[in-house]
Amino acid sequence: MTYQLAQVLISGIALGSIYAVMASGMSLVYGVLRIFNFAYGSFAMWAAYFAWFLFNHFAWMTYPAVFAIVLPAMFLFGLAVEKIAIKPLRQRANWEILAIIATTGLALFMDNTSLAAFGPIQKDLPFIIKGTMNLAGFEVSRHEMLTLGVGISIIASLQVFLKRARYGLAMRALAQDMMGAKIVGIPLNRAFGYTFALSAVLVGISGILLVPRYFISPSGGWEIMIKAWVIAVFGGMGSFIGTLYAAFILGIVEAIVIWQLGARWPIVIWFLILIVTLIIRPGGLLGARE
Amino acid sequence: MLEVNKVNSFYGELQVLHDISLSVSDGEFVVAFGPNGHGKSTLLKTICGLHTATSGSIKFDGEEISKLESSRVVQKGIVYVAEDRHLFPEMTVLENLKLGSFNINARTKEAENLQYVLELFPRLKERIDKPARTLSGGEARMLAIGRGLMSKPNFLAIDEPSLGLAPNLRIDVFEKISEINKEMGITILMVEQDITEASTYCNNIYLMEDGRIVFEGNREEIMKNKHVKAVFLGEE
Repeated sequence: MTYQLAQVLISGIALGSIYAVMASGMSLVYGVLRIFNFAYGSFAMWAAYFAWFLFNHFAWMTYPAVFAIVLPAMFLFGLAVEKIAIKPLRQRANWEILAIIATTGLALFMDNTSLAAFGPIQKDLPFIIKGTMNLAGFEVSRHEMLTLGVGISIIASLQVFLKRARYGLAMRALAQDMMGAKIVGIPLNRAFGYTFALSAVLVGISGILLVPRYFISPSGGWEIMIKAWVIAVFGGMGSFIGTLYAAFILGIVEAIVIWQLGARWPIVIWFLILIVTLIIRPGGLLGARE
Repeated sequence: MLEVNKVNSFYGELQVLHDISLSVSDGEFVVAFGPNGHGKSTLLKTICGLHTATSGSIKFDGEEISKLESSRVVQKGIVYVAEDRHLFPEMTVLENLKLGSFNINARTKEAENLQYVLELFPRLKERIDKPARTLSGGEARMLAIGRGLMSKPNFLAIDEPSLGLAPNLRIDVFEKISEINKEMGITILMVEQDITEASTYCNNIYLMEDGRIVFEGNREEIMKNKHVKAVFLGEE
């Protein structure tokens, strides 16, 4: 029992690290552009479909090559979506509401394009590495350990980017005081574009890493979108640190719930936790402070 | 250096600026006085590309800037220092200052400008790692001006720097601004409500009422004017 629990916890932490990558992209867009991207999960599916396509058409394909091709593509795709679908709305009144409609429409478009191109049958990706390894006496999957490592290094890099890089500082500035950001001469359109593109990269990474835990399917993005939303709201919308806590807590919760109750229950328990949290702290875990 | 010609500006249906014309020459320290809510902030924001002029022209070194995006205006060295500061509350003093040098011209001079700002405001040096939200009113004002200086301005538009400060701090702030004007040769257009203190520091004065320029002149001329005495100094 204890042995199993420890294994479940390790697996939950590994899952949490991917969730952290996934939710920080959504939280970033909300913090900087003040909108929700309802096509967020569809972005993940497109990235995963792209990876599947590469693996199936090029025998020599490896994960580093997949990331090297898919992630720049996601960046450009994010830039394009922001420019075509979001930027024209910004001049209008109530544009946050219009953005919800626009991104929902985009999600439907993307999902149906996937359906037309790849069909309704779920797709899978190969394991990054097969087999198990011994970690302090516990038998753990190598694939999970690797995703944990990748997840943590991406979160750490994102943190460094937001603290040090010019556009990282600019994104935080925009989230904290948009007028102040204009005063110091940050070009809003460009900064918004980069933010959206960065979030597309982050959800693209998580879309690929979540396979094979999740399969790739035309409507598979909705679960990712909802989960990213729950994590971001639970952590406190726009709070980077809050999002990290939330991702790891909910990742561990998911692993335990699957182990004890079965695979149908995690999202139910997640919403219960979210509702109770919002009753006690309406801003989420760390929402009020930032 | 700056030529504002017949500028009109609105907030929705409400006209805030009426045919404003004014000019500021290279190296001058000009102050526009006016009561609260008479369009002073809007005037500065319109010059700095943070608010759009409905009609009229704004020329900087002969070039029309009224249609430029704010980031372009900053790149030309025209920098706004806000009355309500618009600092980044969760970022440190240093990060706030670094963001001041976001534009391409200021970036290369970042280290130099930072050194100057910290010499000018030693208090900021002591608080360099503290989040901006923990600063006192006076310190926050210094940071707002310091951040403006980090943008490598040729022209600073300073919005009511004395607002909410104790009298001794007000004098301090005016002296610093005067120092910036004289030592760095930065041209300054400042707006203020209270004419008595600030007018001793500047070369030229404009008076604003209801979004219009009602008077232009130097300190002596203004102090002699009957209307000014009545409206701005409350004397009969």
